[in-house]
Amino acid sequence: MRIGHTRLRLTWTHLAALAIAAFVAAPLYWMAASSFKGPDEIGANPPDLWPKSATWDNYRQAFSDNNFGTYLLNSVAVSIVATILVLSLSAFAGYALARLPLRGKGPIMVALLMISLFPTIALAAPLFLLMRDIGWLNSYQGLILVYTALNVPFAVWILRNFFLGIPKEMEEVAWVDGASPVRTVLSVILPQARPGMFTAAIFTFTACWTEFLIALTLNTADRFRTMPVGLALFGSQFTVPYGTIFAAATVSVLPIALLVLVFRRAVVSGLTAGAVKG
Amino acid sequence: MSDTPPEGTPRADGPPTGEDEGHTLAYGHSLRHPAPRGGQNRADAAAAEGPPGPEGQKGGSRPDRGGRTALERKFARLGWGFALPGLLVVLAVTLFPIAFSVAMSLSNVDVSAGGFRLSGFTTGHYGLLLGSERWRYAVLFTVLYTIGTVLAELVLGTLIALVLERLGGAGRSWMMALLLLPWAMITVVSAQLWAYMYNGVYGILTSASENLTGEPVQFLGTRFPAIISMAVADIWKTTPFVAIIVLAGLMMLPKDVTEAARVDGADAWTAFWRVRLPLLRPALTIAVLFRILQAFGIFDLPFVLTGGGPGNATESLALLGWQVMFTNLDFGPGAAVAASTAALVLVGCLLFLRAFRSQVGEEEAGT
Repeated sequence: MRIGHTRLRLTWTHLAALAIAAFVAAPLYWMAASSFKGPDEIGANPPDLWPKSATWDNYRQAFSDNNFGTYLLNSVAVSIVATILVLSLSAFAGYALARLPLRGKGPIMVALLMISLFPTIALAAPLFLLMRDIGWLNSYQGLILVYTALNVPFAVWILRNFFLGIPKEMEEVAWVDGASPVRTVLSVILPQARPGMFTAAIFTFTACWTEFLIALTLNTADRFRTMPVGLALFGSQFTVPYGTIFAAATVSVLPIALLVLVFRRAVVSGLTAGAVKG
Repeated sequence: MSDTPPEGTPRADGPPTGEDEGHTLAYGHSLRHPAPRGGQNRADAAAAEGPPGPEGQKGGSRPDRGGRTALERKFARLGWGFALPGLLVVLAVTLFPIAFSVAMSLSNVDVSAGGFRLSGFTTGHYGLLLGSERWRYAVLFTVLYTIGTVLAELVLGTLIALVLERLGGAGRSWMMALLLLPWAMITVVSAQLWAYMYNGVYGILTSASENLTGEPVQFLGTRFPAIISMAVADIWKTTPFVAIIVLAGLMMLPKDVTEAARVDGADAWTAFWRVRLPLLRPALTIAVLFRILQAFGIFDLPFVLTGGGPGNATESLALLGWQVMFTNLDFGPGAAVAASTAALVLVGCLLFLRAFRSQVGEEEAGT
């Protein structure tokens, strides 16, 4: 019976999908659940699968007794400014590399790809010394500059691919009408490349939001720490206050989760941008 | 997406790459003197005729020695004006420090409160490296860990992608959203989360293992369990990324190819293995390349989860480099560790690309 056969296969697919969903979601659930547990329950053995006496204490601890609020604001500020800078630089560079007669485009694109994939550890020490010399250790601008440079290459790749897919007629009309080059890009090209801009923005923001090594190296003062560094260095050698950490962690996951859910199409197209002909 | 002619297409003029097909010719106006509407100068004529082909003799002024017209030179200048700000920022913050890092790994570095000085050329740091048991272990660990995790992610990610492809509909859309969560999460958060689950006293996985075997497993206590546990945490966070790329690749495959294979009597397995997998190669190549690079530079996860321990069982090259530089303040040897990491990454990528002749850059292998 073909119909029965298909139905059976569907159920197997559903079961497999459920198992995958459980594997992905279980740790996330555990993080959120633990963030509502008091210290006794956090250390309970065997652990309770559901917080028996849910409490907001951990959130209070994280954001009023400790500096997670500051870390969060630092992360938000640095990530947003870096994203804006990356988009403005990459839009023009990507347009030039897609449309204008530059010599050595191929080598430039390959070099950008290489750079965007370079291990960050190779940059940590020289950047530390450089920033120390110009007095930008423990500052926002030092971190913003580095994040901008690290994310321009990938954004240029994404945007160039988008620009190549835009028909040329409209910009030609703008040129013939005597619009300035900058205006042509801003008012004719970018509106058409909006999906690409979204994709580049999400990728850059996520990369800045999660970056740890450079932030750990450059900003050692508590006031300038970003969320990843704050979360990694919280607690001592002997006690790790997991409740407080998970409260802060849950709050840190929410904005990026919302962003990714709302713009998931942009993310998926960005992940596959490299895999299509471009 | 692009309509690039194959490399090596003879061109009468213009830049070596063929992306712009000389269409910029249509923009033949001095921007300060827009011609009156209906004015017929050469550029308008060009615009009216549509962009000349690559071999068309370009309108405008006489070509210069490089075979470029004044107009083209103007657009090239404009292009550099557009591209330079971004390129310079990248150059200043990446290429210059990389060069400096290499120089530092080959010099005696004196770090003092007042600053640091490079004095004298030496290959001693690399000699130190090659003679160091700890560095050799870190190389071995990083290479094997990268190969192991990337292989596991590739297999799991492909399986997940196949399940989701078959699922279809709203279910697939929601699953994709769920898969994006670990990808977008701060790695430190997932490291703390797994550290809590693996905790030897009250970790949920420890107590689960006790229920299963009657004996609590100390996940992070000894070398091999610690390596496997770290890999599992890594696989949890990064497999979704691979799965989504593969799924997008699967959805772009032409349906009729698979159907034709099935009609010709191939079973589902053969059709996948012989027909769809080869077509998926570009997507898989990209996913694997990204993952190799990320796994090779792994730092946050061991930093938080194991601190490189027990002993130095999970000490990756990046972690070792950081320890040497910022804990011991040995900038020279640290730079040598960092440079060796970068060199190994480059070698690994080149080997991989040669093996898979991917279509990164301008040489398209066809999609």
